[in-house]
Amino acid sequence: MDIPVKKKKKLGLKPRYAVMTRGLSWDTSYQPMEKVFPYDEFEGIKIHDWDKWEDPFRLTMEAYWKYQGEKDKKLYAVIDAFAQNNGHLGVSDARYVNALKLFIQGVSPLEYYAHRGFAHAGRHFTGAGVRVAAQMQSIDELRHYQTQAHTISHYNKYFNGMHDNIYWFDRVWYLSVPKSFFEDAYSGGPFEFLTAISFSFEYLLTNLLFVPFMSGAAHNGDMATVTFGFSAQSDESRHMTLGIECIKFMLEQDPANVPIIQRWMDKWFWRGYRLLTLVAMMQDYMLPKRVMSWKEAWEMYAESNGGALFKDLARYGIREPKGWKDACEGKDHISHQAWGTFYQYSHVAAMHTWVPNADEMEWLSEKYPQSFDRHYKSRLDHWGGMQKRDERWFNQHLPMLCQICQVPMMFTEPGDATKICFRETLFEDQKYHFCSDHCKEIFEHEPRKYVQAWLPVHQIYQGSCFPDDINPESPGDSPVREVLRYYGIKGGQDNGDFDASQDRKNFDQWLGKKPTKGA
Amino acid sequence: MTSNKTNYLKSIGHYHPPTQDTEDKFFGNQLTYLCWENHLMYCAPFCVPLPPSLPFGALVRDVLPMLYGEHPEFEQIDWQRVRWSDSDSVFMPDFGKSLKNHGLGHKSLIRFITPALEGSRNHIDTQTQAF
Repeated sequence: MDIPVKKKKKLGLKPRYAVMTRGLSWDTSYQPMEKVFPYDEFEGIKIHDWDKWEDPFRLTMEAYWKYQGEKDKKLYAVIDAFAQNNGHLGVSDARYVNALKLFIQGVSPLEYYAHRGFAHAGRHFTGAGVRVAAQMQSIDELRHYQTQAHTISHYNKYFNGMHDNIYWFDRVWYLSVPKSFFEDAYSGGPFEFLTAISFSFEYLLTNLLFVPFMSGAAHNGDMATVTFGFSAQSDESRHMTLGIECIKFMLEQDPANVPIIQRWMDKWFWRGYRLLTLVAMMQDYMLPKRVMSWKEAWEMYAESNGGALFKDLARYGIREPKGWKDACEGKDHISHQAWGTFYQYSHVAAMHTWVPNADEMEWLSEKYPQSFDRHYKSRLDHWGGMQKRDERWFNQHLPMLCQICQVPMMFTEPGDATKICFRETLFEDQKYHFCSDHCKEIFEHEPRKYVQAWLPVHQIYQGSCFPDDINPESPGDSPVREVLRYYGIKGGQDNGDFDASQDRKNFDQWLGKKPTKGA
Repeated sequence: MTSNKTNYLKSIGHYHPPTQDTEDKFFGNQLTYLCWENHLMYCAPFCVPLPPSLPFGALVRDVLPMLYGEHPEFEQIDWQRVRWSDSDSVFMPDFGKSLKNHGLGHKSLIRFITPALEGSRNHIDTQTQAF
């Protein structure tokens, strides 16, 4: 039997989007709205009209699955081909793989944290538009973690130092830098979280993270990583849009929001910048085929793009972040300081380090005419000399850390690269030390939040970083060995100098090269 | 909704996390930070747990060589000429007295300058090693 069906006209893209996103939201009546959405008020941000929120994505769930599904198909085809063709043999040099170790250890877990953070934000904003955006980003971030883990798992079959990134993330000293950064962000309220991650990190600084890693991969023959980078790129541009939209929305809603947002920008610009020290080091020292120096990247992506952004935001009464000038000054120094740190502590890390070869030293001198020869070259020469005498130097004692960024106190005084920068404050009769004015200011604004910081060095001395069979009060003749056992890092295999590494030895063999000295 | 001065943080409810690094957690030691100024071969100052009763002389005799002994300038230090400071305030140590006697408590930062041994201030133009 035929029932005549009146053919309904399909909705256009815009109304369809409205129906399938905001249209699915409702105001609660059994419980007052402020009890259902308690998190979006305590930070002090005032929102008068959530309908003024401009949705940055304009994407329904249905369209979202379709796009992401297509991207995944392409990516996984490339990963398969890469594995079948032994793609790892095509990288420029086995040293390059250490950049991937840094990525899977220090960056990928942040994708997972972002997934959790946006899921929380996606639940707790009162406005439906921003909830939808945050939920979609949450799914993106989970996908990014997965694609990265799947891509890099191929390398994990052939190289050391990539087998336990999540376990390490919660324990290993240098990974407390990204970990504490993100935990600080997602333990804030949802508005601070979006300012921290969507705006300061994704909008302002993300190019400094992704461009160096992805173009570094391209230059060094790592097509698998390039592909996951591309696959994430269209998501990243949505995320950047969310960042700027969120900032403009908050600024336009109430003038009382301006000083709160300014303080968050000061804080999160600086925290993000400190975190990027790891990228700076990767860019200048870990890519056998270099793309551009950290200094050049900073000038291009931060100084010119960021400068224009803050000019644009000036009409809201927003100025550039307080740490801006110090960050610009640091472009001549931080990569060298970080590599020096990893070089001397690489026996307790999960990657290899090395002294740059003669060509690389020349490149560094050329790219850093103001700083490299004057401040950094002679220490690398000295270490290289020790290594030639078979006395490869490792620093056997633990460094002092900054209470906020948790980076070893390796940064020098602005304007004087021969002197460590120290700042300190007293809170409830206890001293706290910082690497900079800006980390100190972050502490002083919310000291209670940071007195609980889990500083790896202090935790080792409290006995929290030994395996269960060790008495924390007297860990025996080699506490470092026990700490590595607790970390699950194999000393000499997952770490130490590249020259003496299994990675190097294997790679040379696979390529049919004669083993060289050290390997 | 809590945002009170006594809590010193912004939180949705009462939240008073414990202070992580109080002195009682270090098995009778105090954390001491040490920095040989301008010697940046060591990327950062050191953090070491030391007994508060440690004589200052023992710090110089036993602890500092262990930390800094591998620097080519270390052997040449004339300890009589070294200038000491507790964070930013200069002091003259008495080698027989303890850290505690000097008022150097938990998480104190001891910095020392070795005149004539300039480390990272050595000038690259004169072909001296600067680190």
